[in-house]
This record gives sequence, C-alpha cells and structure tokens, in this order.
Amino acid sequence: MEPLKVVVAGPVGSGKSTFIRTLSETDVVDTEALASEDIGKLTTTVALDYGTIHLGDQLLYLFGTPGQDRFDFMWDVLSEGALGLLLLIRGDKPEDFVPARRLLDYLTSRRPVPFVIGVTRQDLPPVWGPEDVAPFFGVPGERVVGLNATDPQSAVTPLLRLLELITAEEMAS
Amino acid sequence: MAIFGSLNHMSLDDLLPFVSSRDGALEIFNLKRLPRVTLYFHSGKLQCVYLGNKPLDSLQARSVISELVAASNGSFEFIPEIRPPTCDQPLGWSIDRMLISVAATLDEYAQVVDRLPHPETVFSLTHITVPDDTRISDFWKRAYIYLQEGISAQELSEKLGMPLDHCRFYLHKLRQLGAVAPVRFEARREKPQHAGVAARLLTSLKKRFFGEDNAWSR
Repeated sequence: MEPLKVVVAGPVGSGKSTFIRTLSETDVVDTEALASEDIGKLTTTVALDYGTIHLGDQLLYLFGTPGQDRFDFMWDVLSEGALGLLLLIRGDKPEDFVPARRLLDYLTSRRPVPFVIGVTRQDLPPVWGPEDVAPFFGVPGERVVGLNATDPQSAVTPLLRLLELITAEEMAS
Repeated sequence: MAIFGSLNHMSLDDLLPFVSSRDGALEIFNLKRLPRVTLYFHSGKLQCVYLGNKPLDSLQARSVISELVAASNGSFEFIPEIRPPTCDQPLGWSIDRMLISVAATLDEYAQVVDRLPHPETVFSLTHITVPDDTRISDFWKRAYIYLQEGISAQELSEKLGMPLDHCRFYLHKLRQLGAVAPVRFEARREKPQHAGVAARLLTSLKKRFFGEDNAWSR
C-alpha cells in the first residue's frame, strides 16, 4: 500500500519537531543545526523532520517543514499529494500568527490540501485558545484544536481532527 | 527658460508643485524600473499620464506616480504648452491632494510590507460593497470582475498592468475591510484524493492512542 504523508508546517519554534518526535514510532530523522541568526533558540530545522506511524498495513509519514520564509519552496513541494496539512502555531506567541496565516492562505489556495491548525502550549497558560485563533485565521472553528506537543494523547489531537474532517467530507461527497 | 534635472537632486514631490502651475508636459526618463513617463498638466491640474506611448487609467497612473515619488534615479525635462496625443478621460487631479494621497499610501505600504499576502495566494470577493477610500475603490472597480472568480496578486498584476507589490497591498487592504478572503480548498476541490483511507486511519489511530474507539471524545 502506498505510504501517505502529512505535512507539519508552522513558524520557527512552533513545536513541529517536538510534535513529530512525540508521535513517531521510529527514530525521527531531523536536520537540526545551530541557528545562524537570532530566531529565539539555539538550533532550528534546516531541511525537514521526518517521522513515521504504522497503522495496520498503512504507513503514514510526518514531514516537518523548515519554519523560515526562505524555505517556502519546500512548503509547496511537500504539500503536493499530501493527505493533509497540520499548521502548528504557538499559542503564547501571537506575533507569529500573521506569517503563519500567510503560509496557510498560500498553501490552501494553491493546493486542494485539507488542513487543521494546532495551537501548541495549551498546558502553559496564558495562551490563545483555539476558539480565538479560528476567527483570526478566518477558518471554521472545527479546523482549530489546542494541544500540548509533548504529550502523545494531546499531540495526536490535530491528526485525529484532520482525519475526521476528511472522512466527513468524503461522506458528504 | 529650460526646466530639467535629475531626481537624485530634486524629488518628484518637490518638482510637481513647481511645474504644475504651467501648462505642458513633464517627461521623466532614465528610470530603473519604468520606461519614459510623461505627465501632462493643464489649468494647474494633472490631466493625463503616459507610460511610454500608452495613456494610463487612474489606477495605473496612481501606481506609476507612487513609483516616481519613491524613485531616486531618473532625469526630467519640462516641455511647455505640449498636449497629450489623446486624453479621453482627464484625471483632473490637484497636485497637493494627489501627493498627500501617494505619501499616505507609501507610508502605509512601508508599515505592512512584511504582512502582505504571498503573490500566488488566490483571493475572491466576500461582498460587493464598493470601499469608500478612493485609492482602494479604484482598484476594487478594476479588479472586481476577476475577484468574482478568484485571482492572485500575481495574476492581477498582469491583468491590470500594475506592479505586483501594489496589487498585494490593495488585496491586503481589501482583506482588512472584509471585502475579499483567501480561497480555501473547500471551494475549489473537485473530489477527495484519498477516498476511504481517512476513515480507516482514524479508527487505527484512535485505537493506538486511546485503546478504544470511543475514548477519543475531545
């Protein structure tokens, strides 16, 4: 059976690498490198993070894209043929919302890719909740979920929501 | 008397109030990003703008003048008493009001340049009320027909003959006003690509992380 991929996108430091490490069954292939500019942390993803989940005979790839704008060509490449897109944003970092919305607008208007927005750090208040993030991004409330990327049962939430939405859409069509 | 010089030494907003009191044409050339631009003045007002040999509509004229005000390279020469080959719809713009409007647009643009939409993001109309602001309503009226179907700044730039960044700016402003919104996949998608797979994955994933199908209730 052909493997499927889910793209995990978002600004620098939104928790993409943590999210994939938490959910992946296999050791995550990551490409963390020392940051060459001040991005608020010491290392960052320079190519992509890559994890896997086996569900029966179906292999699911999780691809984490680099957060910096200069890698935007990879967002497009990775999104092609993807099962869905998870956009992660830090709930305690509203300054990232505008560039994240720009990324979402671009990808979702270019490609027919289902998406869910995951608002991380819900365990570390004060944070924006999903119900406030949804209108800012101009998306229906069911497309935004909160999560703690370090907790497996919480981290899997946006993935489950994505699959629920795709299933509902299939049934409707 | 000859009036000529370089935009390096005299900017357009210094020059225009001076030359616009005379009837004639101000030719601006040796520009980095534009071919020759000719501004025609009559009765103290800007009546017509040509880019090369092509007369511009009001929206295109506004864009070109914004570029000229921001330009630091280029030469100019004023030719008195000359009239445009054709000027079917004279602009009739007073110079001081036009310069204030252009300056406001440039200031606003500088503030939002990092937040402008990606050139390929597709937008469509959300309602059909014409915006009050003349700068934006000119754009809205020209772009309306394309925005009905959904179009990106890149495509609009080609259709309207305007700089890409100006189209991105106007789309950003229209979005702030709630007049346009990005087109999401729901509206454009023809059929699900992975029919049947998602439901199976959903069941497996729930079992994996919660043990029981019903344990997932958040």
